[in-house]
Amino acid sequence: MRTPPLFIHAIEHSAVGEWMRGNVLAMPFVEAAHVLCITLVFGTILVVDLRLLGLLDRGRPVTRVAREMLRVTWLAFAGAVLTGALYFSANATTYWFNTAFRYKMLAILAAGLNMAVFQLLTFRGVAAWDSALRTPRAARVAGLVSILLWVTVITLGRTIGFTKGYDFSVPAGVDFDFSGGGT
Amino acid sequence: MSLESAARALQSTAFSQTLQATPWVVPTLQTIHIVMIGVVFVSILMIALRVLGWVRTEQPFPHVWRRFAPFLWTGLAVMALTGLLLTLAEPVREVMALSFRIKMALLLVGIVSAMAFGRSVRAAARAEGAAAAERPFPLAVRVASVITVLLWLFIIFLGRAIAYDNSVWGSWSPAVLQRGAST
Repeated sequence: MRTPPLFIHAIEHSAVGEWMRGNVLAMPFVEAAHVLCITLVFGTILVVDLRLLGLLDRGRPVTRVAREMLRVTWLAFAGAVLTGALYFSANATTYWFNTAFRYKMLAILAAGLNMAVFQLLTFRGVAAWDSALRTPRAARVAGLVSILLWVTVITLGRTIGFTKGYDFSVPAGVDFDFSGGGT
Repeated sequence: MSLESAARALQSTAFSQTLQATPWVVPTLQTIHIVMIGVVFVSILMIALRVLGWVRTEQPFPHVWRRFAPFLWTGLAVMALTGLLLTLAEPVREVMALSFRIKMALLLVGIVSAMAFGRSVRAAARAEGAAAAERPFPLAVRVASVITVLLWLFIIFLGRAIAYDNSVWGSWSPAVLQRGAST
């Protein structure tokens, strides 16, 4: 096995990492919370994206839909980062070297970038099309890209569980019906 | 025939064997299943929050119901299909998990109560017209909406807990560890 950077080693052997590995209930609860948070992120952003695409909620101003949903999105995103960090700490080295994990981080970064560009450029002129049935092309593109990227994040997240191999020392699951491993 | 031997018989059918032999099947189905959790749970959450008067208060309730109900039912149908295929791919893992059994029972409760709720909403809208839709919901309905959200939270948790049946339920778990200790 390759040697990870020092900080990855430190995370894995931190008190939090030890606690995650030592507590049989930590993994299932943290994983369930992580799945819940990420589905909330996706589901709430989807409502905004569908409005940006001009497909649904056409009678509601974009700003109102966004304000209402993004509160939940940010809360859930914070929860996903927290539970993800806990998850990561339990087996930091394995995740560090996992390709699906790396791509997942990139996909999250790309989703953030898409959102930032939308916020800083397109959304500035929202007053002109807030209640419009047909939103500007840039807004529609941002909405579509957002949906695709979050589905990618979820896909890669699930892929990690099937590609991380058998290095984990946390307690067993019963679902190893496939060559790479899997949870 | 015990449940376990039935599950083993199912697992040895040609269809199940084919699913097991195709490595991308289970992760892909799980990914679709998780994406749909986002769609379904956020739809339930939005309907519940509207009942509580926290979101979309400018829209009459039947309007909110019509906005989210198609997502709810389509999402649930896709989840039923992917869930069924996942169960056929790994019958022993699923059937021999207490989390799976409780999840199926609660799903029945969740779906039947959502159908009953949708029916009563439509009946009330027909009988009393738009005025009724503007009134705040009685306390009982608001409590029911909170319970519904909690019920679906528990169903989501149980779905992830299937992979950790022994850890979560201890000696109550009927699960048989299929392979060595890792996740």
